[in-house]
Amino acid sequence: MDKYNDVSPFVIIKSDVTRRSFIYTDRALGALDKSKHQYQQRVLIGSNGGENAAVPVSLLLRDGTSIIGMPSKTAKNPYVVDQIDGKLVLTDQGEIVEEVHYWYKPDYYDKFTSSGTPMWQVASSRPQRLDIDPNSHCHFWNKGNGCKFCNINANSAQSEKECNMSKQLTAQDVYETVKEALKQPGAFTNLKMSSGSILSGAEIFDDEVDMYIEMLQAAGDNFKDKKFPSTIVASAFSEKQLAKLYENTGLMTYTSDIEIPNEALFAWICKGKHEEVGYAEWKRRIIRAVDIFGAGNVSSGIVGGCEMAQPHGFTNEDDALKAVLEEAEDFASQGVSIVHCVWVPMHGSAFHNQQNPSLEYYVRLAKGLSDLRKKYLLNVDMDNYRKCGNHPDSDLDRGNLE
Amino acid sequence: MSILNDRIQALLQDPEAAKVLATVDNQGIPHIVSDNTITVNDEGQIIYLELIETSRNSVNLVNSIWFKRKVAIHLSKGEESYQIKGYPAYSVICGPVFEHYYKLSLERNPEFDLSTVWIIEPDEITDDTYAARKNKEREKHPLITHLDRLAK
Ligand code: SF4
Repeated sequence: MDKYNDVSPFVIIKSDVTRRSFIYTDRALGALDKSKHQYQQRVLIGSNGGENAAVPVSLLLRDGTSIIGMPSKTAKNPYVVDQIDGKLVLTDQGEIVEEVHYWYKPDYYDKFTSSGTPMWQVASSRPQRLDIDPNSHCHFWNKGNGCKFCNINANSAQSEKECNMSKQLTAQDVYETVKEALKQPGAFTNLKMSSGSILSGAEIFDDEVDMYIEMLQAAGDNFKDKKFPSTIVASAFSEKQLAKLYENTGLMTYTSDIEIPNEALFAWICKGKHEEVGYAEWKRRIIRAVDIFGAGNVSSGIVGGCEMAQPHGFTNEDDALKAVLEEAEDFASQGVSIVHCVWVPMHGSAFHNQQNPSLEYYVRLAKGLSDLRKKYLLNVDMDNYRKCGNHPDSDLDRGNLE
Repeated sequence: MSILNDRIQALLQDPEAAKVLATVDNQGIPHIVSDNTITVNDEGQIIYLELIETSRNSVNLVNSIWFKRKVAIHLSKGEESYQIKGYPAYSVICGPVFEHYYKLSLERNPEFDLSTVWIIEPDEITDDTYAARKNKEREKHPLITHLDRLAK
């Protein structure tokens, strides 16, 4: 931390906890209050806790920074969440690093829709964000071409088996859950939808676009104005599809993830996306979305560090970082923010045996991406520390607002 | 245990008292806001409600919690005047504490859209009245005064 004393220590801690994972002591698990804290969640990628175990879904730091991570029993050098002197703390080799808090459970979580679906299975909640993932099955896997870091279909199959969680949501359930969620004062600042890619339709992704339109309209029926703070994390839609989406819904911002900002690695890691659309076209579509949503209202996520996956990835961190930041600058100069999450080689993904890069890599990556936004005057309010919480780089932007 | 005595806690709870919060940015440039809704919680920590997330004050507070930089609160009513320095300890953006103050802000003004509840841990207090400051100087620096004040 001394070397990067101009970078928020909370961002450094978050990055390291995510990359190394964490476990809970029994004392810390004993501090979970099921009436107050979240211990179940619908998540697209990752895991929903598994076997209905009452494990806190995530952590919050003192400055409001979220750690979007999951405890891992197989992590080699995890942080330990403990309860010491009545406070929950992160510890590393027995030393207290920082205080943490469990995520609170919103009021709607324990309610049911009129069809009997538990509302927590319709919308999950991050601090200040309502998360609705209407389709947790990705078609790229149908031909065995899912992205190699992703476990969406393995996770949704497990959730269906263990929690009877449906892979597809209905518009009525979405409408009712959003209606209930909005009754809680001050609880949310954004509504995000995401889903696995749907390749079908007259043009590729037409059915995915129609699905978002239906779901966004259902959610949107709860708002006074047509447009409301919202985003989708979706496939790269054509200009025609984007215009249709924008005109027919309350959607204000748009994300489509380029995942690996390097054509050769994208072709290997995101084989399905590359075969169906291609890196250059995926990128072009994201940039064209700026014409509709405006500069700063379009972002693209990358799986930070995955460019070092072996055997084809970079073997030197400096080279990897240079390549990523150069491509991110090309996006930023055209109005698109690149935001990163920390690559966790997850159970159920093709890369589960891989090793992610050093903490220093992540600190430099976060600072590099945040500095690019400063340089190109892009604000990332749509994907910031409170709207998403999964991006160490956009957490840093919070220290340079105005 | 809080270092704030009962009198200061009472003043912090008094909406009639004048309360000013001073922060600095990364270049050391000061920024001041006056806000008589600054108050104290049951743990003797100071509560400041930030309504504008992208304000200079908010960004300074963020940098203060990140880089352990002190902020100052000036508190006064009538002849009484105190300076409290402390560290922003929590930036609360969700959960029951946030919701409590969110509702309180709405009661004050339905237009208010609370961004963050800042919890400031007081670290030092100075009695800021003229008399207290002058007495302290007289004690420590007896040579600093005008001679006419000492004449018979
Ligand atoms: S497109 Fe790739 S990252 Fe997205 S859900 Fe499908 S496999 Fe996962």
